[in-house]
Amino acid sequence: MNLEKVVFGFFVLLAATLNFGFFIGDIDNPALHNVYELFAAVVVSLITTVLKFGDRTQLGAVHLATSLVADLQLLAAALVWGYAEYVSSSGVTPGSMASVVSLSGGALLANLVSVVLLVVETVSFQRR
Amino acid sequence: MVNPLLAFWRRLLGDDDRPVRSRARRMPHASATQASETIFLVLRRMRTPLIVLIVIFAVSVLGLKLIPGQDAQGQPARMGFFDAFYIMSYTASTIGFGEIPHPFTYAQRMWVTVAIYLTVIGWAYAIGSLLALLQDRAFRQAVALQQFRRKVSRLREPFLLIAGYGRTGELLGHAFDALGRRIVVIDRSDGRIDDLELDSYRADVPGLVGDVRDPGHLGIAGLGHPSCEAVLALTDDDEANLAVTMTAALLRPDLPVVARTTSPAVARQMRAFGAPSVVNPFDVFGDHLRLALHAPASYQLLVWLQSGPGATLPARGRPPRAGRWVICGSGRFVRELARDLDADGLEVVVAKPAAVSGTLDRDDPASTGDGADPAQVDLRQATGFVAGTDSDTTNLSLVATASHANPDLFVAARQNRPASAPLFATMAIDALLVPPEVVAHEVYAQLSTPLLRRFLREMPARGDEWAAGVVDRLTALCGRDLQAVWKVRLTAREAPAVQAWLTSGRARLGDLMRDPADRDEPLPAVPLLVLRGEDCSLAPDGDFLLAAGDEILLAGRPTARRSLETTLQLETVTEYVHSGRRVPSSWIWRRLSRYEAAPTTNPTSRTPDSR
Repeated sequence: MNLEKVVFGFFVLLAATLNFGFFIGDIDNPALHNVYELFAAVVVSLITTVLKFGDRTQLGAVHLATSLVADLQLLAAALVWGYAEYVSSSGVTPGSMASVVSLSGGALLANLVSVVLLVVETVSFQRR
Repeated sequence: MVNPLLAFWRRLLGDDDRPVRSRARRMPHASATQASETIFLVLRRMRTPLIVLIVIFAVSVLGLKLIPGQDAQGQPARMGFFDAFYIMSYTASTIGFGEIPHPFTYAQRMWVTVAIYLTVIGWAYAIGSLLALLQDRAFRQAVALQQFRRKVSRLREPFLLIAGYGRTGELLGHAFDALGRRIVVIDRSDGRIDDLELDSYRADVPGLVGDVRDPGHLGIAGLGHPSCEAVLALTDDDEANLAVTMTAALLRPDLPVVARTTSPAVARQMRAFGAPSVVNPFDVFGDHLRLALHAPASYQLLVWLQSGPGATLPARGRPPRAGRWVICGSGRFVRELARDLDADGLEVVVAKPAAVSGTLDRDDPASTGDGADPAQVDLRQATGFVAGTDSDTTNLSLVATASHANPDLFVAARQNRPASAPLFATMAIDALLVPPEVVAHEVYAQLSTPLLRRFLREMPARGDEWAAGVVDRLTALCGRDLQAVWKVRLTAREAPAVQAWLTSGRARLGDLMRDPADRDEPLPAVPLLVLRGEDCSLAPDGDFLLAAGDEILLAGRPTARRSLETTLQLETVTEYVHSGRRVPSSWIWRRLSRYEAAPTTNPTSRTPDSR
């Protein structure tokens, strides 16, 4: 068992699960989307990205790309939320909540691709 | 009609008649892939510091968000994530805007205190790691290698690959740079590559610290590059030179290779791979010394032309024709020289200098057997003396002793280290061997233009008086400093304006070499050689008839080069130069003056003395 692989798999999966946990629920209902969960998703996603640095293989490059996409989407979601809460005069409306959640939904897709890649990598390693 | 603009575009856009080189082959580039991925090295090493930084930030922000605060009215108020992140950002970067949006409670202050120390440690760790990485030797080498590779792969002009940048490489680099040729340098010592940046080259010279024995390094330095036109193996290590010759012959059999060695055995091994031209400085010096003895003017011309642009005319020696020669020293150089002079029918005595007292080299056929100080060998009856030991100090003292014993001696000496040059310059030495310079001159003659090489090869056969005549013509027209040596081709592409005149069969060389500003003045240049097919004419005079396709090697001033180019490109100038008629260059004026192209006009006007 390779400890590096454990940590890597852990963070990739955690990023996906946190993202999923935030995303699930009615898209425009703020009560169903926890701000701490979004925070955790952003932090874990950033850590996952850094963990993917420096891999020269083709698979590693795609891994890094998916992570960067997820970061971008999650940070955009956090920015939209921040704008709605502090800058916008109307506060967190169902409309702004919907855009936050849909952005995180995009990130979820990227995270799912990441998980698929992880599984593919593991399976092909087993067969070799 | 030809107008100047058309001629210009033709020169600029005309297809090159240089043979198209084969496409770059696959080169061994194990180290090349490493070089391209320096960025991965940085990313990989920065993983831990970055993760530490992210975690510290996340923990601090989360703590600020969770710890309850209170607003100005004393009501409980929690910070939002944005406030917490904002506070942590300016706190961690030591900017410190204060406590917002409300003054902190004690619980918050305690947490911020912890967070300050944590983030400072995180930043210090991350920045420290990055700086350590930039200082890292391996990293810097990787960056330098990558830069070098990029520079070489972007070269679009033909370049020479110089393996080994010693004294020889430096001399050659400057000579070729003055000719406008590009070079790429690879050398084992980083000091030499650093010197490259301090040297005043006109063009940018990419330099790599690397082992020339490694085919991967040679590959990065452009061995597989389509624009590489020759490989020069010039290290002071025979084995490394052999390795370069082998690598080049196996990977790029189409490239000319010039290698330096002082050992005949290594030279034989080199010739087993392809057809490299091997330069042995001792051998060359022997040949030169023999030439200097038989034909001082030929030798003078040879040395002058070989020295490259800017060389001053060397003095013509007056060596003795016959008599006894004393050669002091031992080893390969002395053996080669003794054999050369012996073959010339001279009486040769090989003596050991007292400084290297020991047993005599029994292999030397002509040794005196007493291993004596040159003073003890009777120098008064000798006509020539050679100080040929490996030590400069010994050579200098030998020269001093010999000149003292017999002031009329012809003295030759070998200089081993460049640092001794000023000392040798003060002694009255008739022929000085500086191996790097000999090699540099020889390689220069071989690679600058093939015509110069041909001229130098055929020139000694023409005799001493002929050579003296050429030297006189050169000095009369161009002065005592050699300005430029170049060639022109009278092909339709390079000399469009003179084609009709050339086919008329009345194209005198003397008429071509007139000044376009005033045709009674000759151009300050001397045609050294005219090559027609395989036949060459050395230093033809003004009555020589040119034909289309001839190649001419010229020596003279750069102004002459420009003037001659105008003559070859513009029909109006050509017309004036060979017939004296001033032809209008515009279409209107031609109509008005009823000019008709008259390529067969007989040049009837005065002809200037082409000398």
